[in-house]
Amino acid sequence: MTTSERASTGGSASQQPPVVELDNVEIVYDRHFLAVQGVSMEVQESDIVALLGPNGAGKSTVLKMISGIGRSERGEVTRGSVSYKGEDVTNYGANEMVDRGITHILEGRRVFEDLTVEENLRCGLYRDGRRFRFDVEDYRIAFEYFPQLEEILDLKAGYASGGQQQMLVVARALIHRPELLLLDEPSLGLAPKLVRDIFETLVEINREEDITMIIADQNAKRTLEIADYGYVMENGQVELHDPAAELMEREEIKEFYLGTSGDESRYRDIRHYKIRKRWT
Amino acid sequence: MVDVTTFLDITVSGIGLGALYALIAMGFALIYKVTGVLNFAQGQIAMIGAYGVVFLGTGAVLSSPLPAFAALAATIALGIVLGIALERIVFRQFIGEPVLSVIIVTLALGGIFSGFIAFLFGRNFRAYPPELTFGSRIDLVAGATIQTAFAIAVLLALVVVAALMLFFRYTVTGSILRAAATDEQAAMVLGVSIERTIALAWTISIAITAIGGILLAMSSDGAGFSIEATGIIIFAAVVFGGLDSIPGAFIGAIVVGLLQEYGSFYFEGGTAIVDVGPGFGEILPLLFLLVVIVVKPYGLFGTERIERL
Repeated sequence: MTTSERASTGGSASQQPPVVELDNVEIVYDRHFLAVQGVSMEVQESDIVALLGPNGAGKSTVLKMISGIGRSERGEVTRGSVSYKGEDVTNYGANEMVDRGITHILEGRRVFEDLTVEENLRCGLYRDGRRFRFDVEDYRIAFEYFPQLEEILDLKAGYASGGQQQMLVVARALIHRPELLLLDEPSLGLAPKLVRDIFETLVEINREEDITMIIADQNAKRTLEIADYGYVMENGQVELHDPAAELMEREEIKEFYLGTSGDESRYRDIRHYKIRKRWT
Repeated sequence: MVDVTTFLDITVSGIGLGALYALIAMGFALIYKVTGVLNFAQGQIAMIGAYGVVFLGTGAVLSSPLPAFAALAATIALGIVLGIALERIVFRQFIGEPVLSVIIVTLALGGIFSGFIAFLFGRNFRAYPPELTFGSRIDLVAGATIQTAFAIAVLLALVVVAALMLFFRYTVTGSILRAAATDEQAAMVLGVSIERTIALAWTISIAITAIGGILLAMSSDGAGFSIEATGIIIFAAVVFGGLDSIPGAFIGAIVVGLLQEYGSFYFEGGTAIVDVGPGFGEILPLLFLLVVIVVKPYGLFGTERIERL
């Protein structure tokens, strides 16, 4: 798909380079383990992009190579290229990507357990000129979207509830003032009500703070509902991609990810379908 | 039997010795807190500080030694350089490797350091320049006195513990160092450079350890290989304090210093109430270590891992 086609599907300003562009990327871990192959992807400014697919499809790997954190796990882009706002950032380290305004919220609510909620938020200030001092005013943006956090500032983050921890990692990332936010499984292990709240807040943040987002999540329905565009990965490859609204109408998506297909499908049919899909 | 003035005297020198240990113990706890590494070369690093002054300030190796206080300053600067160099040359290679490999590396470094010192000076006691040997004692209340080196150590240890506590508690960098210790990756995505974190920790640690080593040597008027053994003794202090706690290391070191002084005064030699035998002063802190590990494995202020079920 070319840029001009992409623009016609509702993306913003076509002359600007996309925020993130993956061109036929192959990612190898530990020099031997091929994790992702031939992935091309475009993320337009101010969009929310959904990255869907089953466990082990390579969603996290893609996010990690965009944020550069994958380099610290011995991941490497061995073919293709990654660019950020038109600049080639293939195989850049996490440091360099943080400097460019990318914040990655890792899978599994990685709060600093031994630190209080307030100290966790404080860590979000580090990017800003490697600062030494802090000011509670700096947390204003976090409290705006997650007022609950203001009440538990002195609580050790390890003792906060799952929902609070998820809010905390998003808030910490917000204080970091990113231009692009990568979220890995923000809904994992949360009650449906909390998932709804978090996703609603993400949309607000996207609109009001103008932060571009890539959300990798197993909860395909919720993610597509808030996304502008969606990619479906399987076995380290992109199987499908379309504007989110169209993607939600696709039969295969309904069947496998949304669970809203009209007919009850049996495993044999699914397998048959998969084989057919590979060959078309 | 137990004379009050003597007891006070011993208590004071116990605290003094403890403060010396505290500097070395805090250097150890700092590394553990930030990088998760148990530094088994700590005693040897203290010894490098101690012999650094001998190297630069006496005629033992150099034909024209530096003036005593210049040698002192240069040795501390050397400690800082050593910290940076070790990170660049050695520890950076082990980022992302299991912590155990780094621990083994510290064992190797300890061997290298002590071998190097033995090569330069032999395993003998080397006297300090006279300007740095305080024969004098400072008078305290109730007839008790304190050795000048101990007095400096107490003040310095208090300054270091306060500075480090404030740093970790109230600054962004301090918080991020603690954060990086609990979750390296999650800190990296916030812009933390792990290399810089490790370099900072090692530099501060080696500098205060070297200062501890120098003061330890000053308290006995010169450097000797006995300083190497403090690497083991401070273990008792740090474990009691809770491994990753800096105030814990401070308090633990004071306790160990007191135990050692009481042990060697009241339990060995002519002054003993119960003569257990020579060297009991050094054994007592290690017995204490065993008790602590059994009774309170996380120490006084150690971080107990939060387990969610």
